[in-house]
Amino acid sequence: MKPVIALTKGRLEKQFLKFFAELGFEVDPLLEKGRKLQIETSEFSFFFAKGVDVTTYVENGIADIGIVGGDILIEHQPDVYNLFPLPFGHCRMALATKANYQWPEQKKRIASTFTNITKNYFKDKGESVDIIKLEGSVELAPILGLADAIVDIVETGTTLKENGLVIEDEFISFSARLIANRSSLKIKRDQLVPVIERFKEGAKKA
Amino acid sequence: MFLPAGSQDETGIQISNRLRAAESFRLVTKKRNFKTISTPVVEYANTFTNQMAGMDLHSMLKWFNAEGEIEVLRPDWTAAIARAIAGQHPSEQKWSYQGSVFRFDKDETENRQAGIEIVHADQFLGEAESLLTAIAYLKNLTIDTYVIELGHTGIFDAIVGPYHFDEKQELVLLDAMHDKRSDLVEEIVTQAGHPALAEPLVALIDAYGSREIINTYRERWKKHQDLLDILSHIEKLMDLLESAGVTEVIVDLGRVKNLPYYDGIMFRGFLTNDGSTCFSGGRYDRLYEQFQQKTSAVGLAFDVDTLAKHMNAEQEPEKICILATPATHAVAEQFRIDMEEQVVDIQYQLKSDANYQKIYQVVEEDSQYKVVEK
Repeated sequence: MKPVIALTKGRLEKQFLKFFAELGFEVDPLLEKGRKLQIETSEFSFFFAKGVDVTTYVENGIADIGIVGGDILIEHQPDVYNLFPLPFGHCRMALATKANYQWPEQKKRIASTFTNITKNYFKDKGESVDIIKLEGSVELAPILGLADAIVDIVETGTTLKENGLVIEDEFISFSARLIANRSSLKIKRDQLVPVIERFKEGAKKA
Repeated sequence: MFLPAGSQDETGIQISNRLRAAESFRLVTKKRNFKTISTPVVEYANTFTNQMAGMDLHSMLKWFNAEGEIEVLRPDWTAAIARAIAGQHPSEQKWSYQGSVFRFDKDETENRQAGIEIVHADQFLGEAESLLTAIAYLKNLTIDTYVIELGHTGIFDAIVGPYHFDEKQELVLLDAMHDKRSDLVEEIVTQAGHPALAEPLVALIDAYGSREIINTYRERWKKHQDLLDILSHIEKLMDLLESAGVTEVIVDLGRVKNLPYYDGIMFRGFLTNDGSTCFSGGRYDRLYEQFQQKTSAVGLAFDVDTLAKHMNAEQEPEKICILATPATHAVAEQFRIDMEEQVVDIQYQLKSDANYQKIYQVVEEDSQYKVVEK
């Protein structure tokens, strides 16, 4: 049976395919996939899912290895081997608010998709905050008065700037990472280790 | 009415397999001179969260009792057994148990386990008996496609021991090794001022596989007698397992303890078809130090839910029905008692969706009742 690779759909998928092609792997079926969610190449079975779902599929052994953003791994702490960073998908986690914002005297309200990262960030600072979980367009929260600030991933900072927000603090840098199912790595090591080694070499060269 | 997440009702093959697995475990361990032990489902949290056991209270099902102490549903057998048998006479060495553990951090809140603990015995004897019992049990369940992995807590301890890390750094380093996260391992040891440690630890992350790994590391560690002793120990257990017919034994020299009480050899069984972990265990002498005992303790626990999912379905016996009446029910019952090999149902009226291989009825002939095939 071919190794099964779970890929995060969207931006990371495109960056991964470029990296994968540079390593000499076959990518044509992946580039021509259209709306299909599962693709076979001569060497691998691929499927495409949201980042957090990639970790779930890998944790449960449906996929042997996966490509996922470091933010997802820090937030959700899946029980997988979190092997090494890949040379794409670079982002930072940042605390941002409106320009010249007067912080309130009382406990702050922070909106984020990453509630665990937010909780740990303020815990490390020794500060109690109320966290509001949002699923997307987090930048709206301070603008519309739902929260004092947001914790979110920042790649270029353009979205923040265009919405009148400024970065107060940047506290984690991360990139895409290679993860592996804990059993697959051992049981299918003869198939997986050569692939993982090529990824590792590719990541070092980049 | 609904069930909470992580709980489920069971019927059919899963429960029948689980009961067969339980009976098989009882017979296998009885034959190997294990004494059965059971501990209560409700315990004080401290049994599991004390410094030696070191388990995380967050993942336990817990509440305050009337005296304000935290009680939990048993989250782990090993710590509970240690509490229970610490006061037993040391001549009792081999213990077996079966029952549920309850945790929030698993897919299912309740997980059925069957396990063994061997205390106060010669170290190698205890480890060998643990592993051979595991093999015998899997054979009894006709599960034959599995891989056994061996690791040892002493490897990480010996390599890192000479270097100073504060408590937080050491915990992060252990987590990074547990996740085989090479970049973080390198970062921590470098930040702690021990860059020389990066290469051996990062290499150790990849030190898993078959017997060749032992040979490679025997050469690499030729000046470290403590590490060579550990390799010899692991190899002796590999030899034993292979002699016992285990087709695939692997090592992971970079495996670190995920519970603080592990203290030496660690073992784990993977089912080959889907990679699920069917048993895990190891040495945990340190757990008995809380009872002022310096002794040998080793054991392993099977995940009975996993085994039940992978067991072949039981051969169903012939299923027959006897049609009777209130007046002839006793006659039908006597006939049922005589049918030792079959599943025998008694009905007063045959249901349209009934699924029987044979149907009998009680008839009266010459003022005598008898059972005849319909």
